[in-house]
Amino acid sequence: MNMLTNALKSKIAVLLLPALALNVSAETSSDIAALLLDPPADAWLTYHGDYTGKRHSQLDQITPDNVHTLGLAWLWTANAGGIKATPLMVDGIVYITTVDNLYAIDARTGRQIWHFEAEQHPGFRIGQRGTAIWNDLVYLTTPDSRLVAVDRFSGEKRWEVQIADGSRGYWSTNAPLLIRDHLIVGVSGDFDNLPGLLRSYDPESGELQWTWYSTLPSDMRTDESENAYGGQMWMTGTYDPELNLLYVGTGNPTPVLNSEARPGNNEWTGSIVALNPDTGEQAWGFQVAPHDTHDWDAAEVPVLIDAEFEGEQRQLLLQASRNGYYVVLDRTTGENLLSTTFARTNWSLGEDEQGRPINDPDKFPQKPGVLISPDEAGATNYRSPSYDPATGYLIVSAADAYGIYFYKEEHGDYGWAGADYGVQSTGYLRALDYETGELQWEKPLYSGNGSAGVLTTTTGLTFTGDGTNNALALDTKTGETLWHSGIGRVGNMPVTWMLDGRQYVLMASGSNLFAFTLPQKRQ
Amino acid sequence: MMEYSRLLLVLLLTFPAVTRTAAAESEAPPEPGYPETLVETGREHFISNCGFCHGRDAQGGSQGQDLTRSELVANDEGGNLIGEVTRTGRPDKGMPSFPQLDAATLEAIAAYIHTQRYLALTAEGGRRSVEPEDLLVGDAEAGQRYFAEHCTSCHSAGGDLAGIGRREGLGLLMNMLYPRQAARSSATLTVTTDDGAEFSGTLAYRDEFTVAMTGPDGVYRSFATDRIEFSIEDPLDAHIEQLARYTDKDMHDVYAFLRSLR
Repeated sequence: MNMLTNALKSKIAVLLLPALALNVSAETSSDIAALLLDPPADAWLTYHGDYTGKRHSQLDQITPDNVHTLGLAWLWTANAGGIKATPLMVDGIVYITTVDNLYAIDARTGRQIWHFEAEQHPGFRIGQRGTAIWNDLVYLTTPDSRLVAVDRFSGEKRWEVQIADGSRGYWSTNAPLLIRDHLIVGVSGDFDNLPGLLRSYDPESGELQWTWYSTLPSDMRTDESENAYGGQMWMTGTYDPELNLLYVGTGNPTPVLNSEARPGNNEWTGSIVALNPDTGEQAWGFQVAPHDTHDWDAAEVPVLIDAEFEGEQRQLLLQASRNGYYVVLDRTTGENLLSTTFARTNWSLGEDEQGRPINDPDKFPQKPGVLISPDEAGATNYRSPSYDPATGYLIVSAADAYGIYFYKEEHGDYGWAGADYGVQSTGYLRALDYETGELQWEKPLYSGNGSAGVLTTTTGLTFTGDGTNNALALDTKTGETLWHSGIGRVGNMPVTWMLDGRQYVLMASGSNLFAFTLPQKRQ
Repeated sequence: MMEYSRLLLVLLLTFPAVTRTAAAESEAPPEPGYPETLVETGREHFISNCGFCHGRDAQGGSQGQDLTRSELVANDEGGNLIGEVTRTGRPDKGMPSFPQLDAATLEAIAAYIHTQRYLALTAEGGRRSVEPEDLLVGDAEAGQRYFAEHCTSCHSAGGDLAGIGRREGLGLLMNMLYPRQAARSSATLTVTTDDGAEFSGTLAYRDEFTVAMTGPDGVYRSFATDRIEFSIEDPLDAHIEQLARYTDKDMHDVYAFLRSLR
């Protein structure tokens, strides 16, 4: 009787499994765009894990009480290049990139399933931030700005398109963002005077759907006084399905250090913009770095949260920006609710009526040099922050830094058009109150800069890395270290998922990807 | 040939003033004359691997120095120095290592850098570099007053900084702001272990969990921070405090004062 019941139970379980737990089934997820609207626990489907950019997980197996027992489940080493990418996972398979390379790995064992190597063309090989998944395809952007679609089961190339002209100085490290039947892809390129562009492709065919320009190509310009280029959207944006708005941060203007060559605010460089993902039409924009002359883009993650602001429930957008400003916007309209600083700055005279920082013209790069804080690497950078709803903290990898900036006429008005040098930098992990930007705690990273992103979980844990040698798990409330592992300097964004009933946390250092989990109990 | 190079090296190391003369004389170097295909191969590899930081033209970029003015490049022969630093990197200066580049690639990269150096040194205007005369806008007397107020607890114009004004340019300014070279060896770590033993040495490593030193006996020792009492004295902390205090005028004044100490 008992045995029968058990047999019956397991039969029912088998019948239910395909619907409940995709990984145990032989079936594969066929509608990734639909899953992205409510991401399952047993996957990490997109660069930020979900559309909000919070990088906050509801998984609760690893807790402050047991995190000290976290151990290595497996280690995988990329055969080419260092890992800066966020690993994605679906159907028990991890997809991760290095420059020119895309890999599929068994999420249970760390065993490599396939490796795709893109044809190499000249271009900057400085990093690759990750892939995107659409049904049976995964994607790789390349140093010469191609978008390559690869069959995610066989690892074979399906198609490739040129996002922008690599020979003109565009390159791409971008992890594309899938929104329904749109694959949103950005590029980099501030060593040349290039229009800033973001493109949407049909994820199945690679057909171009729209292009949005942060700075227009010269033949599309009607305002002759507008001389700025640049504003590349090299980081992955976020998305609000209800408002149907895509949020993305734009890069710094070019010529980079030459202020005189491009008078005015240089819209929409150094901005957070809201776009309709179906048309590429701009709904609004807010300039966090008007007329930047220090290479401070506003490409950092626009984090979307629904929370109270001054007693009223609002749809908010938070950004800790490279120029040292922390801004809170109403993401329905782009209205600025707060502008304050979260790191040392010495270049701003305050904020204008719209909340935009006002540049101190004495701090534009000059012939004898000006001492600027932060430095070119910025008060923060690509390192994803994380928002923890329980505490209301935005946890940011920050730096107090100094650089020296030069510009003289001989430097010209093309590309960098000046010279700058980092002088000194001290890295911190900082917890900011989302509503005020006030510092709640900070933790030294023991180097000029961290290179790790941040992940928080619902049990009150913060995962990140210090600037020297360690993966860290911290108490989100206090910043106190609860666990560490000397895996080397974490160079990517931590992620977490469930697999076979176990919660995994993944972090990379150098060319190595580490999967941590709790010890298995004896059966 | 060998003996001559060694002699020159000794001279360069012993008399900083000679370095400048030697550099001035090398302003118009002979054309390197590498095969065009080698330079082109080098250019592609340079742009891919080095260009983001050092600029596509090797004249300095977002983080890396102008290689056409680098002393190491000037002293390089056929990639012997460039190759080594590229393979091993300069972790203390934030330069990554490129162990995957083979000898032929490094040779091509070196050929490109030398060609760019020749082009840069023979070019008219248009350089992105910072010239020593660009920096000389300060008031040395005001700089002396600032120095007397803020710097003399560690430095003395007639002592450690005597003759510093024979150096000039960006290198001197950067060192004045924050002497990075010294940063590696300036801090002293003092440790008392739980059984009462005391150690003191040059700080070699620090994170939240471990500190390490190289002792006066040349021995490297590391300690778990939760099992010891320790303190770190870093005179360079004063430079960081100073960075927050300098106005641009102060900075240029102090630079002008240092230049006057010849």
